[in-house]
Amino acid sequence: MSTSDGDRSIVAEGITRDFADLRAVDDVDLNIRSGQIFGFLGPNGSGKTTTVKMLATILALTAGSARVGGFDVITEPQKVRARIGVALQEVGLDPLMTAREMLVLQSRLFSVDSATARVKADQLLKTVGLDDVDPKKRVGQFSGGMKRRLDLALALVHDPEILFLDEPTTGLDPVSRLGIWEEVRRLNTERGMTIFLTTQYLEEADRLADEVAIINKGRIAAQGAPRALKKEIGSEVVTLSFASSELAERASAVLEAMAPKRRVVERDLLCYFTAAADKLPGLIRVLDEAQIPLQALTMSEPTLDDVFLRATGHRMTDTEEEAS
Amino acid sequence: MTDVLVLIWRSLRGSLRTPIALIPNIAISVFFLFVFNSGLSSVAQLPGFRGSYLAFIIPVSIVSASVGGAGIAGQALVTDIESGYFTKLLLTPASRLSLVWGPMVAGAVILVGQVVLILALGLGLGLKAAAGPAGLILVLVFAFLWGMAFAGYAVFIALKTKSGAAAQAATFAFFPLIFLSTTFVPKEYIEAGWLKWAATVNPTTYIYDAMRSLLIDGWVLKPLLIGLGVMLGFATLTGLLALRQAARATQLG
Repeated sequence: MSTSDGDRSIVAEGITRDFADLRAVDDVDLNIRSGQIFGFLGPNGSGKTTTVKMLATILALTAGSARVGGFDVITEPQKVRARIGVALQEVGLDPLMTAREMLVLQSRLFSVDSATARVKADQLLKTVGLDDVDPKKRVGQFSGGMKRRLDLALALVHDPEILFLDEPTTGLDPVSRLGIWEEVRRLNTERGMTIFLTTQYLEEADRLADEVAIINKGRIAAQGAPRALKKEIGSEVVTLSFASSELAERASAVLEAMAPKRRVVERDLLCYFTAAADKLPGLIRVLDEAQIPLQALTMSEPTLDDVFLRATGHRMTDTEEEAS
Repeated sequence: MTDVLVLIWRSLRGSLRTPIALIPNIAISVFFLFVFNSGLSSVAQLPGFRGSYLAFIIPVSIVSASVGGAGIAGQALVTDIESGYFTKLLLTPASRLSLVWGPMVAGAVILVGQVVLILALGLGLGLKAAAGPAGLILVLVFAFLWGMAFAGYAVFIALKTKSGAAAQAATFAFFPLIFLSTTFVPKEYIEAGWLKWAATVNPTTYIYDAMRSLLIDGWVLKPLLIGLGVMLGFATLTGLLALRQAARATQLG
């Protein structure tokens, strides 16, 4: 790695990408430390994949600049490619080849000699749990999950410094998802790989990432360590549920003095406090006096969804529903 | 260089794993050989016609086979684009040249295999190559180069349109190239002025000339040099178009 970026694996400044009249990624800055798991969190269509493709040198930037592994993605793409492994959301496999053939070929394209490539292929088949598959079976006959695992193995043939995983667990069952999480942690801790992981799952970003950036409609809405981001909101969230959104709005009005940090989301009123337990009797009394019937009350720690909500004005899960 | 070799080998292996796709093309070139040889061989009786009609028509069979070789190359690339494998290759440090040469060379090598078959059939039918065995090998080299030229065009169209149907339709452009030429009779016998003109500007004419000179006249430098120049020029042109389009694929996403 060149020294100009210090301990940064990925540095992006104002990267922007337009498709016809749509701005898919808008002025995104990234500053990702080496050895980190970086979670790039956002709903469908928010610009995650477009960002990955630009950083991985296969999509031109409309504006801005980016350095990955110490090299410029536009002027030194070959050097960047040699240092990164990429598993895109849509797997890219040749249905006529076997898994081992694909792994050997991939290694050869990264200038690994053929003897080493064969050894490496067998190791990786074991790593991703495909070593018990009939060696003559062509990739076209693999199940979706097997294809996903092979695709991950292909991204690892050259022991990349930086690994891009674009929604690696989307569509996977919970057990497979946990398997991927373990593998991501292992690659990060044992090999020190910097991992850039995009996800639409809040829990995934929360559990795996050292740092997250939340992207919405092509723009970064919030960025930081998950814990710090949640802390900014307050240490506890009280969710008051009502029969209608009008009631929630009315409740919000009467609680203005008691809960300065609050937000209405449909029929819920969310209040953020540093110590919520003390506030509960007061909240209930005020609502009672105003004759606003409360349906339910829950108390929880803030999640990244609350961070998303504060940054964008809507819940990520709602955006998901809109998108689908 | 490793990238070029491994990608050529991969494309070749892919084509050989779907041998059924090779059959129609072989059938067409054998059809040309038999039908035209038996149906038009009386042309050889015309005064001033040199050599056998078989030697005259074999290059047509070879050039028509190169359409199939190109089709294989274009189709292979479209399949890679559709499966997402092409994107995977773009993510590797493999040179963009190797990405287009893989399918192009594989298509041209399959063509050479087919030409070996055509020449063997020709020899069985009594072909006597004036330039001898070395001449036949040069015919194979020419077939390879012309195969590369056509495959470059097919790969360019495949990269540009990303559509199997379009890549297939684009091979239609080869038909005027094959037939508006000295396909069935030497230029001296073409009466229509427009066809004579078309045959003169059509690069395929010079490929026919070069191959026919080896089969009919022996070692005559001029048609060989002209033919070689045309082939190299055409192959370079289509190859560069394909390469430029591959480089753009990176940019367009």
